[in-house]
Amino acid sequence: MSDAFQAALENTFTLKVLLVILVSASYGLFVGAIPGLTATMAVALMVPFTFFLDPVSGLAAIVTMEACCIFAGDIPTTLMRIPGTPSSAAYVDDAYCLTQQGRHQQALGVSLVYSVVGGLVGALVLIFLAPQLARIAFEFSSYEYFWLCVLGLSCAAVVSRGSIAKGLIALSIGLLLSCVGLGSTHSVPRLTFGIDELITGINFIPAMIGLFGLAEVLRNFAKINPELSSPDRATRTDRSTVTGNWLSRGVAEVFGGLIPRLKKSGSRIASSSAIGSAIGMLPGAGADIAAWVSYAVSKRRSTPEEKEQYGKGSLDGIADATTANNASLAGAWIPALVLGIPGDSVTAIVIGVLLMKNIQPGPGIFHDPVQLPLVYGIYITFILANLLLIPLGFLAIRAGSLIIRIPRQIILPLILMFCIVGAFAINGSYFDVGVMLVMGLLGVVLERFEVPAGPVVLGIILGGRLEEAFVQSLTKSDSLTAFFGRPIAAGLGVLCIVLWLAPVISWMRRPRLATQPSPPLEHR
Amino acid sequence: MLLHQFTDMATRIEDRNSGRLIQPFTLALLISVCLTGCQKSSEYPSRPITLVCPWAVGGGTDRVSRQIAVFLESELGTPVNVVNATGGQGVTGHSRGLRAKPDGYTISMMTLELSMLHWRNLTDLTWEDAAPLMSLNEDPAALFVKADSEFQTVKDLEAAIEDRPEELKASGTAALAAWHLALAGWLISLDQNPTDVIWMPSQGSAPSLQELMTGDLDLVCCSLPEAKSLLVSGDIRCLGVMADDRQASDDFKDYPTLKEQGSDWALTGWRGLGIAKDTPPEIQEKLVTVLKRIVGGKARVNGESFPEFMDRQGFDHTSRPTTEFADFLKRNDEMFGVILNRPEFQSVQSGPVGPNVFPAIAGGMFGLSLIIVLAGASRRPTASITGIAAANNIVDAATPHAIFLSGCAVAAVIFHMLAADTLGFVTTSAIILFLTSKLLGERLLTSAIVAIVASVGIYQLFSGLLRVPLPIGSFLLF
Repeated sequence: MSDAFQAALENTFTLKVLLVILVSASYGLFVGAIPGLTATMAVALMVPFTFFLDPVSGLAAIVTMEACCIFAGDIPTTLMRIPGTPSSAAYVDDAYCLTQQGRHQQALGVSLVYSVVGGLVGALVLIFLAPQLARIAFEFSSYEYFWLCVLGLSCAAVVSRGSIAKGLIALSIGLLLSCVGLGSTHSVPRLTFGIDELITGINFIPAMIGLFGLAEVLRNFAKINPELSSPDRATRTDRSTVTGNWLSRGVAEVFGGLIPRLKKSGSRIASSSAIGSAIGMLPGAGADIAAWVSYAVSKRRSTPEEKEQYGKGSLDGIADATTANNASLAGAWIPALVLGIPGDSVTAIVIGVLLMKNIQPGPGIFHDPVQLPLVYGIYITFILANLLLIPLGFLAIRAGSLIIRIPRQIILPLILMFCIVGAFAINGSYFDVGVMLVMGLLGVVLERFEVPAGPVVLGIILGGRLEEAFVQSLTKSDSLTAFFGRPIAAGLGVLCIVLWLAPVISWMRRPRLATQPSPPLEHR
Repeated sequence: MLLHQFTDMATRIEDRNSGRLIQPFTLALLISVCLTGCQKSSEYPSRPITLVCPWAVGGGTDRVSRQIAVFLESELGTPVNVVNATGGQGVTGHSRGLRAKPDGYTISMMTLELSMLHWRNLTDLTWEDAAPLMSLNEDPAALFVKADSEFQTVKDLEAAIEDRPEELKASGTAALAAWHLALAGWLISLDQNPTDVIWMPSQGSAPSLQELMTGDLDLVCCSLPEAKSLLVSGDIRCLGVMADDRQASDDFKDYPTLKEQGSDWALTGWRGLGIAKDTPPEIQEKLVTVLKRIVGGKARVNGESFPEFMDRQGFDHTSRPTTEFADFLKRNDEMFGVILNRPEFQSVQSGPVGPNVFPAIAGGMFGLSLIIVLAGASRRPTASITGIAAANNIVDAATPHAIFLSGCAVAAVIFHMLAADTLGFVTTSAIILFLTSKLLGERLLTSAIVAIVASVGIYQLFSGLLRVPLPIGSFLLF
């Protein structure tokens, strides 16, 4: 242990590796902040270069980039209402509401610090529990995945802004959209209406950019009246109100009030990170479900006054969801390192890189004297990357916040352009730009009737997986009792049912307004 | 900050020159054209090449695509960008790659699925639409069971299938996709019915192997490299490899083939490069020459060769050039024709749940919740609009002028979709940025400067730094 650890320290703390970490952190922040480009994309672009790096630097680059990329996704989420990643979709309304109140730096400060905390806790889980936890993946068959998908979707529908019935409308739209095209479960094209391109299906990235980003642009276009108002430059005048030099002013604006908040939120951090790590380490379930479940748990445990804030700028909601989605990143490395089964698309690439460096992921990796230092190297980089994220993320927030000061008649066309390019970039196709446009119009309609857009996105993402798990389960056994046949499946199933019954029960006992205790998610 | 100074400066300049309206924009457009480069060269390749990969980022095909792109880039001296055109079980990517303009600037990564999709009537694209350049890799399918399975050899498995038809469950990919047909072909070669083993559709080999480990599946059929980690750790056992001979690599040379065990079935997953059929022969020749150097290990990037890379990844690197590749494709195509033309595969396999059940449930849920909402709304007609909607006054905003402005934004997106391929990304974007910011009331010169700087900037950012190929436009180059 100690020899390998010392070797890992020596390998990691070299000028070259530290430089690689710094460069990839900046690159990760940059790519993540651009709408439409995902962490997976950033890592994939990087892979040909890792070929020429030594294993320590190559893996350090990927770990750092991933951690920075996921946080950076919160920047366009907060400032432009374009979620950088699907996991940001859980709290996009909260973050954007804060921006409209002029509190964007505070929102991003919370997002940054809790991302780092979640990332660090996730890394500790990976470091100390990876070999013990990895085998849990083998307890998860289609029954458990079915309930996990139902749980994620239920959380989105139950906790989202507005009534539960409206959440359900949004969810069913998402599920219907997920059926479009040629899926893997049924090998026949569905809901394509004779349009050949629709066989591809609806990609969630252009859908997300449309539902949130373009819808917001369209609404803002409608609000501007050039004949009545002169160009709006008022936002530039408020700079003199805050005193001090650039750095202390920035620190006050971004990190102000965070220390007392952190001191209060120990148990929230613990449960959010536990949810994040637990869901992250399951292959095929990742940051997106983790963020929604954590957001739902966060709302459930709040007081009625705090609950009112959810969806309208709740810092607690942002903090808990972002803790969970960052904790899930390290979780995804657990099955990848221990079993060689990728926990998400980034770790799928990582396994390729490991093989390229003659490292075979699997239980043996912890006993091989050559490979063990490398594993410790990954651990150390996880910690380093998250710590480095604080200063770099701070700079990114300060730079990004300048966007707010650009006059609207300039920034709106630019955001419109970024919506187009972001939708185009993921598949290099103008069909996706069309999807983005249709989703933008849908977003405006949904907003008009106060139907939340978040569950639509989650429905598109999880619809395919849900249907697959459902069909697989029924292929294995005809009886519905099999869905409760195993302890974990039964537990998750009961949890889902409780989640749906709770609002019904509280509706029946309405005069008393009793709040249900939060479900014991951490015990899974 | 820079932008403020820009806009301030622009405002000042414009105040002095008020009245001269259109010149700045025209001038700036010209500058933008020069900045993006409009070189016209007859030597191929004179601009970046796009490599279309039909499968998602992170998978095996994506890894091979990205690596061959690095070698092509260094040999051809021009950027080679990988685009993942996913969806439709490979239809999307293959069509995009092989139906692109035959100018040599779109190369297609082709996979096994090209040989089977048209037999399933999902596309009319066949291998004959491609000019095959070079196959890069052939990984055979293999049968895997859990380490504690009762099946020690393929013979045990064959006996069990014969005794208990339609009882064993297998997975590896979607229904009717490559590994399903590999299993079906093997069953046919045993004179069994291809439906004697129940196929559970899944996203791919990784989730299937995980299901195998939970004990819910009896068998997984996928390629050897996909199962390598669990094989090495001893969690699963390989019963037989669907190849003519044993694998050459040290990792897999100990696993017996099906042929050794008395079966006559082999199926290989392959990957290779092709290009649109009408591509000029001299361009095809140039690409093949370069590819021969790469697969022959003569091309090196930072001291590494392509075969070395493939070895390390656990990929086989058998390659076949043009005509040999075409021959291979023809045989492959015929083989899948035989399997997919069987009566079992003619009708859609519905399994326990038909393809319409899930959309029906979702649709029902939609209808039900809509009724609840409408009922609730009619009971409480005074319900006021709250939340974000109220904060943004969107209800008040529905004036004709507001609708006109939003309509302009929608029109801008549609214009971009229609015009970018002809006018190019930079010109189209500049026009949209200029017109929309002018429409929203920005000063003329500022709009023009922002339009030029931003469109060129975004183009350079995506095309150069992030390697997302944006449309160049035909009239600038040709």
